[in-house]
Amino acid sequence: MTLLAIIIILFAGGILAWLSERHLHKGGRWISLASLIISTILISSYWPQATSVSTAESSQWWDTLLTSWIPRFGISFHLSIDGLSFLMLLLTMGMGIFGLVMTWNDISFRRGFFHFNYLWTLAGIVGVFTAMDLFLFFFFWEVMLIPMLLLIAVWGYDRRIYAAIKFFIFTQASSLLMLIAIVALAFIHYRNSGQLTFNYNDLLGAQLSANAAYWLMLGFFIAFIVKLPALPFHTWLPDAHTQAPTAGSILLAAILLKTGAYGLLRFTLPLFPESSEAFAPVAMTIGAISIVYGATLAFAQSDMKRLVAYSSVSHMGFVLLGLYALNTIAIQGAVMQMIAHGISTAALFALVGALQHRLHTRDMAELGGVWPLLPKLSAIALFFAIASLGLPGLGNFIAEFLVLVGSFQTNHWITVVAAIGLIGAALYALLMVQRVFFGKFNKKLERSNKGHTISDLSIRETCALLSLAVLLVIFGLKPQAIFDIAQPTVLKSMQRFTVAHDVGPGSREASSSNTKSLSPPPVKDPIAGTSP
Amino acid sequence: MSAHELFSILPLLIISAGIVLLLLQVSFWRNHIGSFITTLVTLVFAILSCFWVAASLSGNAGSIQVTSLINIDYNALFFSLLLLLTAMVVSIMGYNYLEPRCYPKRNPDNYPEEFYILVLLAILGALTLVCSSHFATFFLGIELISLALYPLLGFTVTGNLSSKKEQLDSLESAFKYLILSALSTALGLFGIALIYAASGALDFDSIAIRMPDLSQTSALFATGTTLLIISIAFKLSLVPFHIWTPDVFQGAPTPVTALIATVGKTAAIAFLLRFFNTLNLYQSPVLIDLLTITAIASMLIGNLLALMQNNVKRLLAYSSIGHIGYLIVAFIIGNSAFGTEAVIYYLVAYVITTLGSFAIVGLIADSVETDQLSRDKKVISPPEAKDDPYQREFYRGLLWRSPWLAICLALMLLSLAGIPLTIGFIGKFYIFSAGVEGQMWALLAGVVIGSALGLFYYLRLLLTMVQRDISENTTNFGALQITTSGQLLIATLAAALVLFGIFPQILINWINTI
Repeated sequence: MTLLAIIIILFAGGILAWLSERHLHKGGRWISLASLIISTILISSYWPQATSVSTAESSQWWDTLLTSWIPRFGISFHLSIDGLSFLMLLLTMGMGIFGLVMTWNDISFRRGFFHFNYLWTLAGIVGVFTAMDLFLFFFFWEVMLIPMLLLIAVWGYDRRIYAAIKFFIFTQASSLLMLIAIVALAFIHYRNSGQLTFNYNDLLGAQLSANAAYWLMLGFFIAFIVKLPALPFHTWLPDAHTQAPTAGSILLAAILLKTGAYGLLRFTLPLFPESSEAFAPVAMTIGAISIVYGATLAFAQSDMKRLVAYSSVSHMGFVLLGLYALNTIAIQGAVMQMIAHGISTAALFALVGALQHRLHTRDMAELGGVWPLLPKLSAIALFFAIASLGLPGLGNFIAEFLVLVGSFQTNHWITVVAAIGLIGAALYALLMVQRVFFGKFNKKLERSNKGHTISDLSIRETCALLSLAVLLVIFGLKPQAIFDIAQPTVLKSMQRFTVAHDVGPGSREASSSNTKSLSPPPVKDPIAGTSP
Repeated sequence: MSAHELFSILPLLIISAGIVLLLLQVSFWRNHIGSFITTLVTLVFAILSCFWVAASLSGNAGSIQVTSLINIDYNALFFSLLLLLTAMVVSIMGYNYLEPRCYPKRNPDNYPEEFYILVLLAILGALTLVCSSHFATFFLGIELISLALYPLLGFTVTGNLSSKKEQLDSLESAFKYLILSALSTALGLFGIALIYAASGALDFDSIAIRMPDLSQTSALFATGTTLLIISIAFKLSLVPFHIWTPDVFQGAPTPVTALIATVGKTAAIAFLLRFFNTLNLYQSPVLIDLLTITAIASMLIGNLLALMQNNVKRLLAYSSIGHIGYLIVAFIIGNSAFGTEAVIYYLVAYVITTLGSFAIVGLIADSVETDQLSRDKKVISPPEAKDDPYQREFYRGLLWRSPWLAICLALMLLSLAGIPLTIGFIGKFYIFSAGVEGQMWALLAGVVIGSALGLFYYLRLLLTMVQRDISENTTNFGALQITTSGQLLIATLAAALVLFGIFPQILINWINTI
């Protein structure tokens, strides 16, 4: 029931925030903050399971809610939480609060409606991360899109309508393919077993012909990599990010992109193990190309937001590469990358937003020598830029390192290509820092800001950003906690791959639908020693 | 004809009695609201009688044959209910449309009561078509609908003093429909003649008995059914028989547009279902191929042409072509309970959503009309885009001016686009399920492409409503004043849309039990 309560609180909070607009001038944001904090507390109530998981646990699921919804199609309202969902929910809530706090005073137009959309997006995302019925998953997958669309279309910058429509059509058209795949999967299962169901755990046992499985896998895969985004479906991302308001960019980069990665790990890999395995080289190639291509394009941008957006393409390429390396090390790296990228990119977008709020431009040709003007902002930006390029000691490094280590075992050459992306990351991140914060003070700035005193980061913003920085350091120095929580889910996915890999004891188990008894004793992860 | 048979056609009898009563009432006492109330009462009684008949059906074998002309079964009663509810909505829309336009204070000689008689006549035709089991009743029904629609489409010309442009458009739409409808009827009649020549019977059951002899070898029979399907495809405005749709939809008074878009199509689909089921025409590869091609063409062309429209009514016209295309996908999967259920569910979704969007568009236009009248400035010259209530530009920033109205319209658009939380999504889901079950991948590809195209124009309208830069000229409209009956109507439709979108099981149970 806790899971349902979280979703209801977010939906209700959104409606309240909207309705309160008329009576309380700025009350909406307090309502939003309150509902976000309550939800976070509710999620934290699962913390005992998270800490006890490393010892012995028979079931993967920590909590389940299952009620009938549309019996005609065997669709149930089925929410569950496990380690992966838990991590993603914490990330969602954390970034939700961060985005709200960072843009506390930014929105002046229709605040109530803004917070309504903000909370409804988050509610949809919470649903996506917990739904265990494929229909319900799709339902939430769509529910999160409309408010996000409105966030971009109403509060965005100049070309917001174009960006919003492009964002929506890309994601929606691809998700229709997923809907066909979901329905086809359910009906094939129905034909074989006589039971019409959309339940994830039941469909894991569906008997598919190799050909059908391959096509269905592609349906899921395309929907998820559009969201990820990976080449060649990434073109919506730079536009959406550039035009979205700061809070929207934070949501988009920190959480929405992760739903694609989550979907791949939760659905595509376990549901279609054989065809995923056959497809893995293609997917890894797409990942590696995305890494290099994203880095190259980021290097060529003059708009800071666009630069960060392309760097996202590059970083999410690591996630794709890691997931399809199909071994525990790489997948753990991908999970870590989801979290670390969420934090660092959210911070970078917040910083670009703060910079634009103060200097009214984010074009690097018009910036330069900002450090003396805004010392605190510049220093924090330097930290996150370096985190983004993968400095050892920070979460991003752990993630990318593990992905590369894991995928090297699977495919040497693709990994070599992907590793080049690290150099690209260093180039674009440092170049951005150099062009914006160092060097000679740009005269154009003086002209455009005549008569205004420019204030540095406020205490509120500094605290929010610093807490993210601390998190990144903690993940960089002590990542084991994350691995422990995610381990059961990752092992479970790996179990379904008949061809065993040299890591992860228990992955040699043949795939079967009800593996409750087969689940391996969760051992200490072999990658414990990698933290520096 | 036994008493029981008479009883089972009670809905038809009540509507006929209502028409006669209304005719008499109008000849003695001309009063707008009086006729309106009589119409509503007639419809309510007809709806109640549907339930009554349905209750008595369970005692029988599930269907009652009334002579060889009419057959009442659960499906027919469900469609009748849907049609009657639609007629209520259209009447309420019509009242709101006629009240400001007839200037009752200034022109006491201007009476709009004929509108309701014609609506009831159209409904009577639709009910007949839904229950028909003989080509005679089929022809009677389809002609009754058409004959009532001609004057309705041109109603602006006769009933009130609308602007010149509105009158010309309305006249154009009435004549276009008259000529093309007559042509399609002629084709349909010729088809019936050929079927009769091949099979020697006019009632569906006898034809079904002779089907094995005819099989697919008889060229006469195949030509006949094809011609018949073409004449129905015209009513459904399937591509390539859709040419009339945008002009007629745009020019007609908005309530009539809603009527033609819902009642005409519901009745035609219901007839197609019955005709195909009785004769088991799903086995005929020629017809199925034909329907497949028109379905794909409708989905693609309807949605493509809608992309370019700035007039909201025209946009909805093209989008309705696409939606009927989706519906045919579910129809093609054939003679299974699931296929019929999918068709009915999608039809209900289509009717609710179409009625809702036309109701909102119409009521907005009515409120502008009232507003102009009260200020005594009648616009003679064609208005600019942002002042014309049918243009997309007019909707700029609607969410900030009239939030509740805009939310309802947004819900309708999202439902048309097939986004969750709305009934349209469940309808789309049914289409997908039907397509997957029938393994019709080409059709499904058409649905996906059509939906993606559809998203663009629905979203563009939706996003126009949330535009934050309201230009100075339109702000003087302020909030739109919608009448109470209109508000109730829109709220009910929106509530039904969300309710059946979140809890579709309720509607599924109704479809399967009644």
